Amino acid sequence: MSATSAIRPTPSVAARLGDVPIFPVAVLAFITLVAIFADFLAPHDPQFGNLAERFRPPFWIAGGSIKHALGTDHLGRDVLSRLIFGARVSLVVGFTAVIFAGVVGTVLGILSGYLGGWVDQVVMRIVDTWLALPALTFAIFLAAIVGPSEMNIVIILGAVYWTRYARIVRGEVLSLKEREFVRLAIVAGASKFTIMRRHILPNVVNSAIVLASLMLGVVIVAEASLSFLGVGVPPPKPAWGVMLSDGKQGLMVGYWWLTVMPGVAIALLVLSANLLGDWLRVKLDPQLRQL
Amino acid sequence: MKQYILRRLGYSLLSLVLLSLTIFLFIRLTGDPTTLLTEPGASAADIEAVRHRLGLDLPLWKQYAVFVFSLLRGDLGDSFYYQTPVFELYFSRLPNSLTLAIAAMGFSLVLGIPSGILASVRVGRFWDNAGKIFALLGLSVPSFLVGLLMILFFSVYLQWLPSSGTGGISHLLMPAFALGWYFAAAHMRMTRSSMLEVLGSEYVKLARLKGLPESMVIAKHAFKNALIPVLTLAGINLIQMINVAVVVETVFAWPGIGRLLYEGVSFRDFPVVQGIVIMGGAMIVATNLLVDIVYATIDPRIRMEK
Amino acid sequence: MTTISGDFGMPGREAIGRRTSLALLASGILAGGAGSAKAAASGTMTVAVHVSLPPAWLDPSEMPALITTYMLVYALHDALVKPMREGNPAPSLAESYTMSPDGLSYEFVLRKGLTFHNGDPVTSDDVKFTFERYRGVSQKLLRDAVASVETPDERRTVFRLKEPWPDFMTFYALSTGANWIVPRKYIEKVGDAGYKKAPIGAGPYKFVSFDPGVELVLEAHETYWRRPPTVKRMVMKVIPDEATRLVALKRGEVDYAYSIRGELAEEAKKTAGLKLEVAPDGATYWMYFPEQWDPASPWSKLKVRQAASMALDYVSINNALNMGASRITSNFIPKHLKYHLPTPPPVFDPAGAARLLAEAGHPGGFDAGVYWCDSSYANLAEAAVNNLAAVGIKAQLRPFERAAFDKGFLDKRYKKGIIQGSSAAFGNASTRLAVWAIKDGAYAYGSYPEIDALYPRQLHEIDDGKRMAILHEMQQIIHDRKMFVPLWQLGFLSVAGPRVKESTFGSIEGFVYLGPYEDIRLAG
Repeated sequence: MSATSAIRPTPSVAARLGDVPIFPVAVLAFITLVAIFADFLAPHDPQFGNLAERFRPPFWIAGGSIKHALGTDHLGRDVLSRLIFGARVSLVVGFTAVIFAGVVGTVLGILSGYLGGWVDQVVMRIVDTWLALPALTFAIFLAAIVGPSEMNIVIILGAVYWTRYARIVRGEVLSLKEREFVRLAIVAGASKFTIMRRHILPNVVNSAIVLASLMLGVVIVAEASLSFLGVGVPPPKPAWGVMLSDGKQGLMVGYWWLTVMPGVAIALLVLSANLLGDWLRVKLDPQLRQL
Repeated sequence: MKQYILRRLGYSLLSLVLLSLTIFLFIRLTGDPTTLLTEPGASAADIEAVRHRLGLDLPLWKQYAVFVFSLLRGDLGDSFYYQTPVFELYFSRLPNSLTLAIAAMGFSLVLGIPSGILASVRVGRFWDNAGKIFALLGLSVPSFLVGLLMILFFSVYLQWLPSSGTGGISHLLMPAFALGWYFAAAHMRMTRSSMLEVLGSEYVKLARLKGLPESMVIAKHAFKNALIPVLTLAGINLIQMINVAVVVETVFAWPGIGRLLYEGVSFRDFPVVQGIVIMGGAMIVATNLLVDIVYATIDPRIRMEK
Repeated sequence: MTTISGDFGMPGREAIGRRTSLALLASGILAGGAGSAKAAASGTMTVAVHVSLPPAWLDPSEMPALITTYMLVYALHDALVKPMREGNPAPSLAESYTMSPDGLSYEFVLRKGLTFHNGDPVTSDDVKFTFERYRGVSQKLLRDAVASVETPDERRTVFRLKEPWPDFMTFYALSTGANWIVPRKYIEKVGDAGYKKAPIGAGPYKFVSFDPGVELVLEAHETYWRRPPTVKRMVMKVIPDEATRLVALKRGEVDYAYSIRGELAEEAKKTAGLKLEVAPDGATYWMYFPEQWDPASPWSKLKVRQAASMALDYVSINNALNMGASRITSNFIPKHLKYHLPTPPPVFDPAGAARLLAEAGHPGGFDAGVYWCDSSYANLAEAAVNNLAAVGIKAQLRPFERAAFDKGFLDKRYKKGIIQGSSAAFGNASTRLAVWAIKDGAYAYGSYPEIDALYPRQLHEIDDGKRMAILHEMQQIIHDRKMFVPLWQLGFLSVAGPRVKESTFGSIEGFVYLGPYEDIRLAG
């Protein structure tokens, strides 16, 4: 892959996707704002419920009230408040996991690609092994070892997904190594560390960012799937994935709001992250592949 | 070339050894199967007896040696939970998984390739976006939710399809779609970037210069060449579908390998997990090896890379 | 020799127990007679099962210490003596059993004319063979206790013990697979592996085919001694997801669905034609305070533990999470186990809890640290944490996947906070106490000397009344000290479809699955 020479997109394609996509940016900005100001926005305590008020429907349906605008769950907790605080949990988990994976993967990818030799061998063999382990199985193992907590879910998701960055970054580095400016730097007597930091890193950051935006969606859906399998963010924390898997039993009974609300929230967030990622990819790094 | 293949083969074997060691150690860190093969509160003597029967009272290196030597003889050991050979279990579930994976792959390619082409050749903003968003939604909605919603709609409300299990085509439709949809976006992206690359290449430009109609250029010249990387990716994804369709198989009670693996993990059925991971790993490693060799044959520069 | 029949001295149950068991026995025989006069078995019943079925469960000789194994054993096999509707235990393959006055030998007499599925007669030699072949739960305990097994004739088997062991029947007949009789001739012919592939037993259903973890098919054993089954074919289909099980039931793909809880149970109750059923003798769940022996911790104060027990809104939790089907109890030992002490039900009194906390020096409550639990019962834990928080006892929930949770519990890693324990293990009150409440018990984080001192005194007490008194005293101390705060004894919920006339679900004491299978009846 690394051996292919750079191909610029045809101008017409670049021009077409040149403008910032409004929809995903607006959705992401809105969710971020909600997450930041959750304490002011949420009408109730998201973790505390009254069993006497369980399964209240949203306000526009008979039996619902404005007190619980989006209804209540199986323990009588306010769905709106949980959604609002859930934005915080999901974003924090999603972003930190992606950044954690990104930093580890990028650093190892650069070291592996630039230093070559035994470093490369070690890193790449670990990457191969990691990629052959089914991601969810691996995540369940890690959850069992370190125990579930918000922090640990971040570590788990990071530990599972760093390899994707490492592989792509290494490929980029291999081709960068052959470029004029790197050779010049070597001739000029720059240390390996300086070259990696000054010349290589800035040139792979684009790919890492694009990948991060695409991985955000993967990580958030993975968090939900972990909750479905019983090893996600521990309750009563209101992560969207937890809400979704808690609510799924009510779907058949007609308590649709318990699933639809967090489901729509997750879908919007992940869709936006992906749309933005696709756009960034065309802008920053048109020949990035294998995603 | 011969040397290159030998070196790649060496790496592949090394990866498999590392994989076997990793999975062996990891799963032993995650808990003790004996507590799951007994009710909580079972007596210490019973727990000890189970541990002895499963060979878990041996030192770790001995357990690993037993595992590796039987692996070399083509024996994956006996399941702790089922107490039957893992090999038998694996191959009794493989046909189900293959059926599901192939059907799901069909769905994902049918969704992914056309939307990828549309996205690369600009036929109009609406179709471009509609295709793209539909493919991306598969990534965005967790598959257990897709599965449950489909069961509610097609099995409960419309009464068209059976809710679970295996049988005819009607049993296959929902799980195949739920699984395939998730992979559609990846195939769409690969199709698009591959198409863009090919469309920018010299010979496509040449074909355009010759005055061929654009649709002809796309269909005949670009698409055929762009398909290779898409199919490579599809091959890798097919292996993923076979081995890790945990969530979909659970929702639809589809007796495949993903479910076997998940049960293995939750029961800490070490031989089952080790066996499935090794089989899946071997398939992935073999595919990668094959791809590497094929690419190297096509493009000699790759051989020189390291 | 003194003959003990029907009832093996179930405490607190004796008077009523014996009478009802006799009445049931009589009606069972009558119904059996009537049944055999009628037409042969017909129809198929499909059961959606919530756990994966392994071949190991088809062979009672390998019975693991898992209560779920009985689900299959009751269909394929039969025991000398087993818990039944007509009594716990009730004579089955054995028409009678007797203990010698010195407690050193037990004699079982087989019924006349019993056969295995392949037509071979069931003999005392098979009983002996079964015992010798047995390698499942409590194997060592039984082996060590039994000096010899004698077979004076075809129908009689005598077990001689090395020393009197009051728990012999508890282990041999009620909590192991050692008295579920397997055929010697057949097993010696096909071998152990062959037996697992095509098992033959003496139970009401014959083995037809099995796809491990997927589907098991059984067929009626028309000459079963108690009564021939009325349903011809029994299919057990594994469907792991709860919602999918209910859909399959609603669509008529299956006739019975195990384990339907919470909102889905509500839906089942609302749906015309479906019948929500309860098996009341599930596992007990309780809160346990590992810090109660640490004088620096608030949990060392009795008033604090009492406050915790008064903070729980037992009835609302039960109604919200389990359709009110669980049993609210203040004894962590379940009601169906022998030597259980009935204690007064717990009360919900948040104001009283707050008052006790203030008296104990914690007005407004305190930070209790972590609430450890198994993630499959995190919803119960969530409700408990919610209630505790309402009186000021603040705890953070840490649900673990079951394997990891049990490991941590056993390794004594949860030294602080609250642990949500549970057990459905076999045995009696004495065996439960040994594991949870006595010094060096596998799950005990501490103990009280008075209880430790009482424990060994009952272990070899042959006088059942005296033994019960000691065990009751121990349970009383545990109750008074609030060593455990029980949340509920789970009522296990399942749903019958419209074709099922009588499911028998939960009809055998201490057993939460379908059975006796020969009593199951379909409508029409």
